[in-house]
Amino acid sequence: MRAITKRKLTEDALKESEEKYRSLVESTEDSIYLVDSNCTYLFINSKCASRLGLPIDQIIGRAYGEFHSLEEEQEFAEKVKEAFKTGKSLQYEHRSQRDGKYFLRTLSPVRVPGRRTIAVTVISKDITEFKRAEEELRVSVQQLRETKDYLDNIIRSSADAIVVVDMEGIVRDWNKGAGNYMDYTADEVIGTSNRKFFADPEEADRIMEIVLRDGELKNYRTTVLRKNRTPVYISMSAALLKDKNGVPIGTVRVSRDITKEVELEEKIKGERDNLNLIFESMADGVYIVSKDYEVEFMNKVLIDEFGDQVGGICYKVFHNREEPCPLCKTTEVMKGKTVRWEWHSPRKNRTYDLIERPLENIDGTVSKLTIFRDITERKRMEDELRETCKNLVELDNMKKNFLNTAYHELRSPLAPVVGYASLLSLSELTDKQRDHVHNIVKYARKLEEQINRMLELARVDSGEITMTLEDVSIPEIVNEMVKSFEPLLKEKEQAITTHVPEGIEVQGDKQKIITILTNLVSNAIKYTPKGGRVEITVEERGEDILVCVADTGIGIPGEHLPKIFERFYMVNTSLTRKPESLGLGLSIVKEYVKLHGGRVWATSAPGKGSKFCFTLPKKANK
Amino acid sequence: MVDIKEVDNARKKRILIVEDAPYMREMLLEMLKIAKDKYEVVGFATNGKEAVKRYKELKPDLVTMDLVMEEMDGIEAIRKIKKEDPNALILVITAMDTPDTRNMAMEAGADEYLWKPFTIHNLLDVLEAMFRKRQ
Repeated sequence: MRAITKRKLTEDALKESEEKYRSLVESTEDSIYLVDSNCTYLFINSKCASRLGLPIDQIIGRAYGEFHSLEEEQEFAEKVKEAFKTGKSLQYEHRSQRDGKYFLRTLSPVRVPGRRTIAVTVISKDITEFKRAEEELRVSVQQLRETKDYLDNIIRSSADAIVVVDMEGIVRDWNKGAGNYMDYTADEVIGTSNRKFFADPEEADRIMEIVLRDGELKNYRTTVLRKNRTPVYISMSAALLKDKNGVPIGTVRVSRDITKEVELEEKIKGERDNLNLIFESMADGVYIVSKDYEVEFMNKVLIDEFGDQVGGICYKVFHNREEPCPLCKTTEVMKGKTVRWEWHSPRKNRTYDLIERPLENIDGTVSKLTIFRDITERKRMEDELRETCKNLVELDNMKKNFLNTAYHELRSPLAPVVGYASLLSLSELTDKQRDHVHNIVKYARKLEEQINRMLELARVDSGEITMTLEDVSIPEIVNEMVKSFEPLLKEKEQAITTHVPEGIEVQGDKQKIITILTNLVSNAIKYTPKGGRVEITVEERGEDILVCVADTGIGIPGEHLPKIFERFYMVNTSLTRKPESLGLGLSIVKEYVKLHGGRVWATSAPGKGSKFCFTLPKKANK
Repeated sequence: MVDIKEVDNARKKRILIVEDAPYMREMLLEMLKIAKDKYEVVGFATNGKEAVKRYKELKPDLVTMDLVMEEMDGIEAIRKIKKEDPNALILVITAMDTPDTRNMAMEAGADEYLWKPFTIHNLLDVLEAMFRKRQ
């Protein structure tokens, strides 16, 4: 009874335990089944049965291979065999060929205590979702890794500095670009404070403050220092880095070296400052107006006069008008023309010289730059000058008229003297009387010659002399002149010799060249005693011809030589010697040679003779 | 060759003297009297305006023309006379010797130019040359 009761109790207990177990295996999502060493189903839960598509009782007692492919069967048989053999649990992943789902199978040997394994329980967990998620994760990770490599490459090779700084201002990352222009290597700076990079270390705090406040920083300009402490201008952009909870952990900063741009800007600014300085220091008014007549700039001169009217409309602020001035050149200037004109302000009674030109702005629009100069004084002076000039011309004309009148008035009285004397000489006269008449004519002629020379020099001085250029044959002139002097030479018993190569020509004023030679030769004859010699030589000297007249006369003392071409200069000023000439002949020679572009000079040995030489260019300059 | 003497005998050359200075008029008259077989002074004028008038009246063979005169100067007178008679023979006798005045006189139509002062020989030479040239 006790035994029966005990057994009953045991059976009940077992039954209860089985019930519990069964309810457990039925309530799970996993497939659970029990197979023997031949892979025959001993037990199967309903989850598994529904997967195999048959009621539980029709599956129990049948083999695994009947429900799976040969491949699956072999795989399973192997695992079961292993579990039997080792007596240990094992796990493996199985991909169902029925629907492609993944399962994690756990095989556990069932052993009767003290005996060998009798069966294997299989718990098959559907891990398809898990596998998919895992695969996705793997792909994501792969992609992330690739992206990261890509970014790393960019960062590493970027010319811009990319620096990561944590909240304490310690550098956490540093790319090669930063090293490029900062000269530090990553090893030198990672882990150190970023303050040392800034010319003003406070900048480090300011940047952090802005990034914390705005979450970012854009194109912030500052100056950093290279390792050797030379400055580099940079433009920095930064972003705040946060952890997954949104707590700031640092900043990433991208900086570009803008030293060249800044230098250029500084240069442009410097030039603009210079320009402004020039405008400011100019005595002229300078202003700029837009095409809509808005005043954009006024320099100090204008501001002093009109007040600062920048922003005003020019015709309103400068001219009290309601519409553009009728004389305004803005339209012309806007077409690209530079206009210069003179404007008289009736209101101020002043005259201005205006230069107006287009000024292209950076944005492509055109403004008008006007520079105006008060020329009232200049105009007044010009008027005065014009008046003076007019008076001078009148005076000059008067002078010329005076010269001509003087010439006429001095020569006129000589006409009856010479004329009547010549008439007288035709009368019945004694030899002595004839001699007297002859002297009247002779000295009247001499007076005439002096008057002619004086007036000729006066004309040279007033620039009234005109040159009539032609090809002049020098041998011809010399020969004619020698012929004309023959009576005089005979009288003074002098010989004249000439050395003139044939064919020498100069471009000049024939009449003046004759005068030059005549004056020199007549002087030579005059100052050479009876029986002396006069010699004329002509030769070519490069571009010039050289003419010399030498005599064997009294000569000229050395101290007088430089002065003999001066007017009215006479070597012998003593009253005891009768002057033969007023000393104008050589002055005329000098002026005529000068008019031809030549030179004249004299050499002399007192008591032995003198030599006068001059040059004439073969080709006239004019 | 033309026999000048014969021609001269045939008819004396009639000359009009234009000159503002009386002593010069007289002198010219006296000089021409020396060659009275060739020349005859037919009249005088003391300014340009009068010269033109006298020329029209007298139709002389030659005019001696001073340049600097009142009323109308010699240049203007030459121009007017030449306009009236392009064949008029005009000898300028003047103390004015600038290239300008000489050019102006020649452009106006003067035939010859004699500078003051001059001798009787200068005058007779130039007159003879002018008439010879005209024939």
